[in-house]
Amino acid sequence: MNTKAIELPKKYKLSLFHDTRHFQILFLGSFLVMVLFANDFPKEYLFQIGATISSCIVFQLLFTHFTTKNYNSWKSALITSLGLSLLLKVDVIYWVFLATFIAIGSKFLIKYNGKHIFNPANVGVVGTILISQHAWISPGQWGSNIIYLFVIGSLGFLVIKRVARIDIALAFIGTFGSLLFFRNILYLGWPIDFWVHQMTNGTLMLFTFFMITDPITTPNNQKARLIFAIILASIAFYLATFKHFYAAPVWVLLFMSPLTILFDMIWKDRKFSWQNSVSSNQKNK
Amino acid sequence: MKKKVILILMVFMMIPLLQSFCGFYVSTGNSKIFNQASEVILVRDGNKNTITMNSDFKGDVKDFAIVIPVPTVLKENDIKVVKKDIFNKLNQYSEPRLVEYYDEHPCQPRVMYDEMVVTKSVAFNSSRAEQKKDKELGVTIEAKYTVGEYDILILSAKESAGLKTWLLQNDYKIPAKAEEVLEPYIKSKMNFFVVKVNLVEMKKLGRNELSPIQISFESEKFMLPIRLGMANANGPQDLIIYAFTKNGRVESTNYRTVKIPTDKNIPTFMRPKFQEFYKDLFTKQYKKYGKNAVFTEYAWDLSSHNYQKCDPCSTTPPSYAELKDAGVFFANYRTPQGWQGSDYEGNLFFTRLHVRYDRENFPMDLQFQETMDQQSFQGRYIMQHSVNVDMNTCTEGRRYYNDVLNRRENELETLANLTNWDIDNYEDYTNEIRTKLGYKTSKSEIKKGGFLFFSNGNTPDKTLPSLLLLSGLALISFFIYKRKMLFPKLAVIKNFLF
Repeated sequence: MNTKAIELPKKYKLSLFHDTRHFQILFLGSFLVMVLFANDFPKEYLFQIGATISSCIVFQLLFTHFTTKNYNSWKSALITSLGLSLLLKVDVIYWVFLATFIAIGSKFLIKYNGKHIFNPANVGVVGTILISQHAWISPGQWGSNIIYLFVIGSLGFLVIKRVARIDIALAFIGTFGSLLFFRNILYLGWPIDFWVHQMTNGTLMLFTFFMITDPITTPNNQKARLIFAIILASIAFYLATFKHFYAAPVWVLLFMSPLTILFDMIWKDRKFSWQNSVSSNQKNK
Repeated sequence: MKKKVILILMVFMMIPLLQSFCGFYVSTGNSKIFNQASEVILVRDGNKNTITMNSDFKGDVKDFAIVIPVPTVLKENDIKVVKKDIFNKLNQYSEPRLVEYYDEHPCQPRVMYDEMVVTKSVAFNSSRAEQKKDKELGVTIEAKYTVGEYDILILSAKESAGLKTWLLQNDYKIPAKAEEVLEPYIKSKMNFFVVKVNLVEMKKLGRNELSPIQISFESEKFMLPIRLGMANANGPQDLIIYAFTKNGRVESTNYRTVKIPTDKNIPTFMRPKFQEFYKDLFTKQYKKYGKNAVFTEYAWDLSSHNYQKCDPCSTTPPSYAELKDAGVFFANYRTPQGWQGSDYEGNLFFTRLHVRYDRENFPMDLQFQETMDQQSFQGRYIMQHSVNVDMNTCTEGRRYYNDVLNRRENELETLANLTNWDIDNYEDYTNEIRTKLGYKTSKSEIKKGGFLFFSNGNTPDKTLPSLLLLSGLALISFFIYKRKMLFPKLAVIKNFLF
């Protein structure tokens, strides 16, 4: 969320398509709806989604009330809450309030140079797991259906193309996928569907096309982003393959997020802003 | 006065609660629901693992053999033979159950139940092992033990072709496809745990069926190698996993873990058909989740501080001695405390998973993780019995039977939705009540169709909902595209919102 958005000149006519966040909401929302249809609308999960979305927006509005007063930012909170609903599992519903509080709080409290450091959904998930002992990530929860690859992939592409962050997603999935391919198929000799099964994992797809592509919490410069993604993928591959730690990408991202500051110092570039994202991309071209 | 009213209100509010928690467990006989399933007990704490495998091998024990990849060279006291009873016990304790309630009658307990599961292990044809040319083949016998009625070898190999040849030379029949699976295990530095029956020992011990084998080892991996078993299997195999951990439910990390539908009201004539019912229900779920999901059938906190260890109980919860048999190495004995107190102490969580796997849909071995989820879960199906009411003397009779009719219609629908059974065959179930009420006994009374996505029919048809969804999306996109023309005032609202 860009807290300086309010200073933008009004000349950017805001339409439904000018704010990339609308695409993100559409993408995550449709994935959520698809999941709900596939599972016959499980009651508990519906409650969890409701609690996550409403508390996220409430926290966001409260925080903005005492800081920037840019109420427009509720859309970012909605995206965060959709991400939390899709990734976090809790045994008692109240823990989602902790998750949303950490997620939104981190945006306002842990900042450097006007950019928040941690991806809100990411820090919400990991923070709740560490603090509560009542939450976890289920890497297998969305299955490994090849259909997810197409749906999330194509919708995700649409979103990250708008924010010009396709490079980081492709660098990550490319590195991670080829490392897994070399290790499991070429070296160990598993049949090819072993790899397909790993790569079409719903959680991995969500992570790639939604979480690491967050333009605010990734380096501004393209080269920096590519290096960031490759390091992230390599560490995640190491942990998943040799340490049997299957939710690795999500955790590694959290611990790598502070490096963004360093990356931004080394490779300087313009800061990202949501509402002029499309126009600025066009200018770049 | 006020207090009394509150008290009465509270009592009334409690009644439905109480009702929903008791209910009698219905025994459906002694046969098994799933006849061809392997059973495995997994125990894990930290990096310590104990795996117990039950093999209900049907055939000449001479022909029995197992090959299992293991991460370390097991020592002799890491290998044990345990009594088969423990599997029956755990199965009985955790199997999906049928419970029954009676209208306006206090429950009358009945106990019953049934079992599932049999193991089919990787059966190689075994004969006496010759140890010729082991070195050339790259196969090393790391250890050799006789435990119970089994002769056990622990092999390490350098390449899959060598191992395959070794197994063939030693008269193990090996499926042609096994080689592709052996290689990844060899390269991951796994050893092979090869078991066959020692007929002399078996006679000496006076056993007439094969005992489960229990192995313990340390490994970071929390997994179950199922790929080797697929090499010579025809069609899907059922596997029941009983997992004991300290903190919470066990689930798969590389396949979806789904809970089986539970707490469903089903018709009262289901008692003798419960096994078929559950089998069909399982098959339907299996297909619905793309044939590659892992199903949770039972999950319960068995910690010593939790007094309710099942509800309703189909059998007594596992005791200390049984846990030891199951390989729960972290359980410690204590003298039982209080009513229903356990004779062990500490945290313990039990999960029962059911997997139906085949080569096509399960390209990877099963990997697991322990979650923090301590919520109880059981597969529970309810039969609600009606009572006989004389409508001439009882004014409420008519209303009561109308409720029963409604309920029975719903039960039939549930049955159809869960199993795809043709409920037209069971019209008598509702017609019986219709006759009592003097209604026409026709089929048309049962609702079919439903509204939009919420189909009430026997088999929900997904074509129409999808078409509606697609056309809805198309319509919405059209509206968005032409929004300026259609809603000239939109800009005002937008400026207000964004």
